[in-house]
Amino acid sequence: MAEILQQMINALLIGCTYTLIAIGFNLFFGALNVVHFSHGDVCILGAFMVLILFGIFKALGMVAVLPPVLFVPVLIILTMVVTGALGAFIERVVIRPFRFAPLLMVLVATVALGIVIREAVRLSFPHGSNPQVFPRILPQQSFTVGGLLIRVDSLIILSITLFLIILMFLFIQRTKLGAAIRAISQDGEAAMMMGINMDRTVAATFFLGSALGAVAGVLIGAYNNIIRFDMGLMGGVKGFSAAVVGGLGNVYGAIIGGLILGFVETFAAAFVPGGTPYTDVFAFLVVIFFLIFRPSGILGEKVYEKV
Amino acid sequence: MLNQKIGRAILLVATETAFFILFVAFMLTNETLSIIGFILFFILLGIFFQRWKKANEVLTKLFKEMKILSVVASILLLLLLPFVFQKSPYLIHVCVMAGLYAILALGLNFQLGSTNVVNFATAASYGIGAYASSLLAVHYHLSFWPGLLVGGGVASLFGLLLGIPCMKTKDYYLSLVTIAFGLIVYVLLINFSWTGGPNGIPNIPGPSLFGHSFREPMKFFGCVVPFQSNFYYLIFALVGGALLVAHRLHQSRVGLTWNAIREDEIAARCQGIDVTRYKILAFCIDAFFGGVTGTVYAHYIGFISPENFAFIVSVVVVTMVILGGMDNVFGVIIGAVLLTVIPEKFRAFQDLRLLMYGVIVVAMLMFRPQGLFPQKLRVYKR
Repeated sequence: MAEILQQMINALLIGCTYTLIAIGFNLFFGALNVVHFSHGDVCILGAFMVLILFGIFKALGMVAVLPPVLFVPVLIILTMVVTGALGAFIERVVIRPFRFAPLLMVLVATVALGIVIREAVRLSFPHGSNPQVFPRILPQQSFTVGGLLIRVDSLIILSITLFLIILMFLFIQRTKLGAAIRAISQDGEAAMMMGINMDRTVAATFFLGSALGAVAGVLIGAYNNIIRFDMGLMGGVKGFSAAVVGGLGNVYGAIIGGLILGFVETFAAAFVPGGTPYTDVFAFLVVIFFLIFRPSGILGEKVYEKV
Repeated sequence: MLNQKIGRAILLVATETAFFILFVAFMLTNETLSIIGFILFFILLGIFFQRWKKANEVLTKLFKEMKILSVVASILLLLLLPFVFQKSPYLIHVCVMAGLYAILALGLNFQLGSTNVVNFATAASYGIGAYASSLLAVHYHLSFWPGLLVGGGVASLFGLLLGIPCMKTKDYYLSLVTIAFGLIVYVLLINFSWTGGPNGIPNIPGPSLFGHSFREPMKFFGCVVPFQSNFYYLIFALVGGALLVAHRLHQSRVGLTWNAIREDEIAARCQGIDVTRYKILAFCIDAFFGGVTGTVYAHYIGFISPENFAFIVSVVVVTMVILGGMDNVFGVIIGAVLLTVIPEKFRAFQDLRLLMYGVIVVAMLMFRPQGLFPQKLRVYKR
């Protein structure tokens, strides 16, 4: 029993990072009907941003002066802003030119953009091909409750994710910009006729999605204590898979999809004999299964093709 | 009249020889500056031909009129290549790799170019073919020649396996399935113990024909060319075969059907086209080409590991198809050759190779989405 509970915590943690990435995919798909395949790389770029910012702060002597409680949120918020801006920039430069082009073009372009980001990260860090040690920004203690080993950092990760998701929902449901995002995801043309600035709203969507993704990258780095330049490929594919399982375009679906993938992976590793190296295979088989039998995902609406 | 014809024939052969000499000179240069100079020259040449319509038309007409002569001349010139590069086996190796990628790109072209089906699993079929034939060769001493068919066959079985779930999906979902399939194959190859795991398969025997081992230098009338030439001629024959198949398919009803699906799937279905069947056919043919290429690669290098079949290989092949011009078989081959040769020439900056691929794709899609050599509209005999 304790074993199962222990694994459930792990599953929740993995699910959280996938959810944060998947929300980005859903936001972008809702806004523009595009899948931004380099989103995973943008997320991991967030983790590398923390690496850089941490180095700068350290050089300025701020790490020693400020208490971590104050310093870490500043670090994360700065990373979110920078990565969000980068996401909006990517939309402006790489995705917008393809707004009226065939789907295939933006698809291939973003896959290629992912390579560009990955290689740029690899080349701009010394020994970039090797895993980089991630700064220990979260406390490393752990405690036991009823035979359960709980790491403090996993609790923090869970609460950060929960907080961000709630914040995002409030933003989308309560603010004017959030309403604009919902409007363009329902019908872009109609929204424009109602006086919504399409370009600005799309940029805001990409900012939001990329900023949330950056947190996912940071959390992955903080939990594993290392990051590698090519984590973004797997992270992106998993995040997209989570979005598809939950229902592409539906922001709530991201949570369900992320958790399903997280659970499949952890339980495959824990309870299938010799299954640890094959976790990705199990996850993808589940995704392919979903695509065959429920292509619109759990919460997605069924789309009928119109002629 | 006859004189005129001979004159044009000479002009044709001279043009081809000029291009051939340019290519050889480009391959033989080693200094970065002169390589850049060559590339600039090629770009200028391209712009020149695009601007000066007359020269373009004359050349196109020339090649069309004397099709047989142009094909024979280019075959003869390319057959000479190992003798030209006699002193530098490395350059022949680059040509062999260009040929391998050309077949992969031709295979992918059936899907990406003709049918508009995205497939990021080229590396998977390439790897499956390579592993299938090498495992049989190492454990059961299967010779290379049946291995070619086995590699292609096994790969196309997996292509069928991939194609069936793909038919339920479209666009983004389809690309997700193919990416996932590629990653699954990669993860399995790394983790299975019977495939050698991350260490791969060493000591794959080389092919031999009529008692002549392909790992030994070739001798022609006292002229010795390095052993890579064996594989050069092999791959030359295979590219020729693939080109013929691709060209014939494009001209046939199958090619027309694929194009119809690309233009409008629903309209194609309304015309009574079995869309599923033709899409799966494209998957299988692509996988067969990939499997054959993988077999040749494995027996040529003599060692394979999962790293050779990573996701990035698929993206590189997609890049080749897009750069060359979708659905244009000759353009695709030129794209494959360019993207193999140019990075090799910039070996000093090898770290930047993948970055370059990425930038090329994004830039091409933005500024020249139809590729370097766009496919012309189909013309029927009047």
